[in-house]
Amino acid sequence: MTAIEIENLTKQYGSGADAVQALDGLSLTVESGEVFGFLGPNGAGKSTTINILLHFIDATDGRATVFGHDVGKESMAVRSKTGVLPEGFEVFDRLTAREHLEWVMDAKGVTDDARAILETVGIAEAADRQAGGFSKGMGQRLALGMALVGDPDLLILDEPSSGLDPTGMQEVRNIILDLAEQGTTVFFSSHILGEVEAVCDRVGILNQGELVALDTIEALQERDDGVESIKLTVETVPETAGLREFTGVQSVSVEEDTVVAVCSDMTAKVDVVRWLDERTTVTDIISEDTSLEELFHRYTGEATTAGQSASAQPAATTEESQ
Amino acid sequence: MSLLAVARRDFLDVRRAKLVWAPVALYTAFMLLFFWGQSGSSEPDFYQVIWGLVGLGGVLLVPLIALVAAYLSIAGERESGRIKFTLGVPVSRTAVIGGKLLARGGVVLLGLAASLALAVPIAMYFLPEMSIEYGDYLVFGAMTLLYALAYVSVAVALSAVTGSRSRAMAAGIGFFFVFNIGWNFLPVNPMQMIEFVLDQFGMTAPDDVLELVFSLSPTGAYLNATELYMPTRFLEGVGNVPPVDPPFYIQGWFMIVILAAWIVIPLALANWRFSKAQLG
Repeated sequence: MTAIEIENLTKQYGSGADAVQALDGLSLTVESGEVFGFLGPNGAGKSTTINILLHFIDATDGRATVFGHDVGKESMAVRSKTGVLPEGFEVFDRLTAREHLEWVMDAKGVTDDARAILETVGIAEAADRQAGGFSKGMGQRLALGMALVGDPDLLILDEPSSGLDPTGMQEVRNIILDLAEQGTTVFFSSHILGEVEAVCDRVGILNQGELVALDTIEALQERDDGVESIKLTVETVPETAGLREFTGVQSVSVEEDTVVAVCSDMTAKVDVVRWLDERTTVTDIISEDTSLEELFHRYTGEATTAGQSASAQPAATTEESQ
Repeated sequence: MSLLAVARRDFLDVRRAKLVWAPVALYTAFMLLFFWGQSGSSEPDFYQVIWGLVGLGGVLLVPLIALVAAYLSIAGERESGRIKFTLGVPVSRTAVIGGKLLARGGVVLLGLAASLALAVPIAMYFLPEMSIEYGDYLVFGAMTLLYALAYVSVAVALSAVTGSRSRAMAAGIGFFFVFNIGWNFLPVNPMQMIEFVLDQFGMTAPDDVLELVFSLSPTGAYLNATELYMPTRFLEGVGNVPPVDPPFYIQGWFMIVILAAWIVIPLALANWRFSKAQLG
């Protein structure tokens, strides 16, 4: 069964010259029982998509259904089967954690064990405290608890780990995995690749309102395998042609006083540092994993600082490993 | 029913807000002041006290109580993002407006009713020789609650069509100045304007129509409803003479219709606008 079906969804804010294309013909399908990661940088259109699914806003064009219900015309049916953790919210300051959950039960017409849910999200000790005094992380946990009320068929989580410390993020991941095991469909958005890696069956990468990749985590990782870049700030930039001789150095680019080398293995990074150190004074070294942003650049075909070729990685090679 | 779910949660939330109770305390304080003022006179007059409450309450306190209690009801949720919790569950937007009216109206009406009930033993204590006309007092209380509900409805409606705290506040204050002070108390008011325009064509405006125009604001209707519970003798004494043989639209009962319209029409318009609002 299909949990979410999005067809050619388009959302435009404003009109004329000021118009902003938040979504540009987005199409994707999430099967029932799947954990789907919806990735993208801030402003890519993730929240816009979620807002359309929940009928907070209307799409300009296209259609979307949740369990076969049209998100615009049958929103009540959609929302009664869905648990929502929204983004950019505040909890109700003067209500206790328990009262937050009781409100959701009341609104959904279900009964559930508030205590058990608060234990699941790790704030059982604050059950009868007013939420006004909660930290950002506790508020986030409470909001997740509200989404879990009534054991919904679909969970829509918008940036679920924002405001959480690493332990909290791990706990949220465990909760998601548990639910997935029970057959709940999870649709969650994030701008952190590492966060979705651990839990998602499949991810879609959204950039500027368009889906630029849709694949399993394994397939994505394969493409991303071991590619890391190293950025060195130097006093004088030497002729860098020699760097390309090292095996494992994929590309080198120079910008003012920085040299960026994209390496496919760790030893290559050491070689690059040693080589440059022999020829000039290195003042700073930054080593980073291929960021999500670089992945986007690869998928969208835009030039990156590392000057990687986009054509080698065709966009949205979907379903190849299924 | 989702409307009741919204109302229950909102009532729970808002009754814990101190700001909501402050104006009710103020209303009670002024009531005490009027009783105390009358206690100095040799012949304390029940209607004089009520007249003072109608004036000050109608002009200032009841609108203040209602606007403070309800102006943020929906706009505040939109600004803080809480609206996504309210509408992330199967609750319709109409139910949000209805639930908010129920909760905020409930808080305001309960507060005012408590204050009005408290006034009776206080009056007995301060003014033992004053006779309280309980029947008239009950009608006065009911009209005051209806008037308060009209203002709550306007505040909820304005809150539903404005997206932020600052706009909701501006709309509330704007409404108060146009439909209260401007309409009924400033020298330049709609009645004056109508008279002036008709005068340009050599016509005079019928007094009955001008009286109706005066009554079209919630405050005008509340003031003109006094004839329902105050003796003509007293009203003549304070210069609020009811017209002789008036047409139906300026009779006391029609003021109830006008106040009811102030409850229904703003909500209906707000519901229409809010149902299409983009809440991203």
